[in-house]
Amino acid sequence: MRRFFRRGRLDAERAREMQAHLDHYVDDLIAAGHPRDRAIREARRRFGNPAAIREEIYEMNSLPVFETLLRDLRYAFRMLRKTPGFTAVALITLGLGIGANTAVFSVVNALLLEPLPYPQPERLALISYDARSPRGENHSTGSDGQMFMTVRDNAKTVDAAAVGGTTGVNLLAAENQAAYVQQQRVSAGYFRVLGVAPLVGREFTPEEDRAGGDAAVILSHGLWRRLFQGDPSVLGRAILLRGEQYTVVGVMPASFEVTERHSFQAGQGVDLWTPLRPSTKGEGGGVNYSGIARLRDGVSWTQARSELQQLSGQAFSLWQMQPDVTVTLGLVSMQEGLTADLRQPLMMLWGAVAIVLVIACVNIAGLLLARGSTRTREIVTRMALGSGRAAVIRQLLVESGVLAIAGGVAGLLLGWGALEALKRLGLDTFDFWQPIRLDWRVLVVTMATAIVTSVIFGLMPAMQASRLDVQAGLSEGGTRAVAGAANRWPRKLLVIGEVALGVVLLISAGLLLRTFVHLRNQNPGFDAGDVVTASVSLQDARYRDPAKVNYLFTETLRKVRAIPGVQGAGVALGLPYERLLNNGFSKIEDPPTETKITNQSYVTPGYFETLRVPLRAGRLLTDSDTSESPGVAVVNEAFVRRYFKGEHPVGRRIRSGSLEREIVGVIGDIQQGSAGWGNFGPISPLPCVYIPASQTSSGFLTLVHTWFQPSWVVRTGGTVAALLPDLERAIQGVDAQLPIAKVRTVTEVRGDTLAQQQFMMSLVAGLGFIALVLAAIGIHGLIASSVSERTRELGIRLALGATAAQTMQAVIVPGLVLATIGVAIGGASALAVSRLLRSFLWGVTPTDPLTFAAVVILLLGVALAASVIPAMRVLRLDPALTLRAE
Amino acid sequence: MTLKKKAQKPGSDLLQGTLDMLVLQALRLGPAHGYTIARVIEQRSDAFLQVEQGSLYPALNRLEDRGWLDSYWATSENNRRARYYRLTPKGRRQLERESEQWAQLVRAIGLVMRPIEE
Repeated sequence: MRRFFRRGRLDAERAREMQAHLDHYVDDLIAAGHPRDRAIREARRRFGNPAAIREEIYEMNSLPVFETLLRDLRYAFRMLRKTPGFTAVALITLGLGIGANTAVFSVVNALLLEPLPYPQPERLALISYDARSPRGENHSTGSDGQMFMTVRDNAKTVDAAAVGGTTGVNLLAAENQAAYVQQQRVSAGYFRVLGVAPLVGREFTPEEDRAGGDAAVILSHGLWRRLFQGDPSVLGRAILLRGEQYTVVGVMPASFEVTERHSFQAGQGVDLWTPLRPSTKGEGGGVNYSGIARLRDGVSWTQARSELQQLSGQAFSLWQMQPDVTVTLGLVSMQEGLTADLRQPLMMLWGAVAIVLVIACVNIAGLLLARGSTRTREIVTRMALGSGRAAVIRQLLVESGVLAIAGGVAGLLLGWGALEALKRLGLDTFDFWQPIRLDWRVLVVTMATAIVTSVIFGLMPAMQASRLDVQAGLSEGGTRAVAGAANRWPRKLLVIGEVALGVVLLISAGLLLRTFVHLRNQNPGFDAGDVVTASVSLQDARYRDPAKVNYLFTETLRKVRAIPGVQGAGVALGLPYERLLNNGFSKIEDPPTETKITNQSYVTPGYFETLRVPLRAGRLLTDSDTSESPGVAVVNEAFVRRYFKGEHPVGRRIRSGSLEREIVGVIGDIQQGSAGWGNFGPISPLPCVYIPASQTSSGFLTLVHTWFQPSWVVRTGGTVAALLPDLERAIQGVDAQLPIAKVRTVTEVRGDTLAQQQFMMSLVAGLGFIALVLAAIGIHGLIASSVSERTRELGIRLALGATAAQTMQAVIVPGLVLATIGVAIGGASALAVSRLLRSFLWGVTPTDPLTFAAVVILLLGVALAASVIPAMRVLRLDPALTLRAE
Repeated sequence: MTLKKKAQKPGSDLLQGTLDMLVLQALRLGPAHGYTIARVIEQRSDAFLQVEQGSLYPALNRLEDRGWLDSYWATSENNRRARYYRLTPKGRRQLERESEQWAQLVRAIGLVMRPIEE
């Protein structure tokens, strides 16, 4: 083996050695009295041919397997170079297929497969509960106060903690150093359960984590560096959070990454943590916590689950349930629980790219088959000359292997590019705990895909080629038979298959696109142009009093309205396209126990006018609706349709809690984000009750401000950029310590709400496009090779008087027939597949005729174009030349 | 597989094993270069065995590949650079084995070929 690689150098050495032999010989002969020239001649004669000897030694040092492999490789490269068109198409096809897979697998890997960034992540769990009744089963994660505290105080198999929501709050680290930061509330033991100790200081004690405990705060590494320049003496320092004083007790390390699936403000990192102080009332009265747990050492999941199940009675003692419902406490693996919502769309996506890869493989198989058939003559010649079947198969396999590996590399590059593009497209709408990157797993999967593709699809044409009857092949090739197409059926099946898969993918993409367009083009219900929004957090001790809140609103609005160019301004708890509060209410004439659910928002006078929402009946809210005047509310048409069908709502009274309000007006519907109840789309006109901001209680405001941030909406004649400084000054002019959390136009708010839909749609549409390109390549390849194989036949036809049009038809029609069959099969499969998509579709049925028709027409059009282009070659045929050819 | 069949020289098979043994034996006297090896074999056989140069070098290559010889470049008695071969310990053991086998073979053939007493 060693000699095999060194044999070039060894050979040169051997030549020198033999020369030395000759020289010694000559020396001896001269010494024996021969003249020099005769001596040299004699020595040469006796020695024989040195080159022949060297060749023999060279052969001795060679390894047959390597030898043939190298030769096959050289040959493969030469073949690929000689057919640049084929090579390019094959590389593009493989590159697209593998690239798409690489990119999507990277995402799947980062989201579903990469472990959570905590020690022993496989022993981390989320507390869950199962509700069973004769009507069905419901499995959810999350905890209320009673559930969490039951597990925390009683469970021996797990160490439990809980986390509340993440909200944006106002922080005052020093005088005039106000910042808007993300606060997360966590129970004592939260960091211990996750397995990450604070970098400086300690985590919360159980004493701090109960009502009335000391106000402590733990800072994130980022905030610590930003506000305190990484000063370790920050421990014990007091900061003002939401207007209350908190003492810094710890700083987390930079490596501590936070998942925030349970925050209302996804996509923002957590800046600081405060104690959760769980309770069984208020926030803790509903499932608003995320209970987390770590299995104690030596405890199995089964043991932990069975212990929790036994605690069910105590955990749900406060729940009022129908008698036939049983609820049990349980545990799900943390990773599984956190990714539950993503699993289905991601798996669908993976399915889609798998289809693309299958199409790509089909194309490659088709291309190789076509090449196999055009190389029939070459192959049978080689076999006739004594080349073994195995040698032919090996040669073809090496060729497809070279192709596959080159394609794999191309795919890796394309995949990397696609991943970068995906990141820009808004991949961050998902919650990641791992950076998305091409890691070794992705690499292995990619290369394995390439190699498996190569072996399977390289083998098929190779087997077909090796079954060739040498004699028939030679005679057929030799005489250029008229229609020897008997062995093309595998290719035809492949083309049918890829057209069908393309149809399925394009129809899915079409349905998602229609959904997106539907959501985007919903009549907003207001005039969305030139409206700027600014939100602030009022989760602040200084804003518990409704009078304070209303003073802030009134004063800032007075200043904003005075800004030149401003046409109107108002404040509301929730913006259009955003999620609104869910609240129960009942009609005054119904018993108070019969509550219905609706979405709710408080608004100031001027809000509807600024958005230009049409008034359908009654009046809008005015400055005369004050805390002293009778309770009023404005409802929208969707509310009327749902709860006052056929009745006249103005003047009717509704009750929410102990408060009674009279409906004074009906406005048009405004599009809102997901409802949180019922069966509404991601954007839809929800039933909604609007109450005056002036008629709210302290308790109500405190509660809703922990979840929602009120927003100013301003309609301006000028530009957003010009308005911004004035708007900021107006708000800061009333409260200098109130930082603005977010400034967006209403259109941007809609974009944020639709980001995930847009992402999914773009992705599937991109895949659909790739599938279309690949299907076109497949059809084009089939027709092109059939034209070149039938050149002689077509020449005869032309010579016998067929017109060019007739001849072209003869070539094109088979392609179109295949495409039609493929479209029919694909359409039927799409009917089944689109049912799976149902939960992602809004405003379009899974069997949307328009989408189906458009995709069918598109694919048939592409099939026609892909057939006509190679068929054009017929027009350039010269019958005389063709007949003489070969 | 299309293993190229080596063109077999008539009689080379017969010679091969024997030549290997002769080369090893020639080197028992000490390191030598190819020409000296050929001369030694010729002289010791009273010029009966003419070592074909065309077989000597492939044999040397083969023996070295098996680890029975190793080689180095040195200056010869004629003041020329030449490649010297010497026995490795493994080669020495091989030579002993072969000598023994050869002796047995010669004895056996001798026994067969001894004049038949009628």
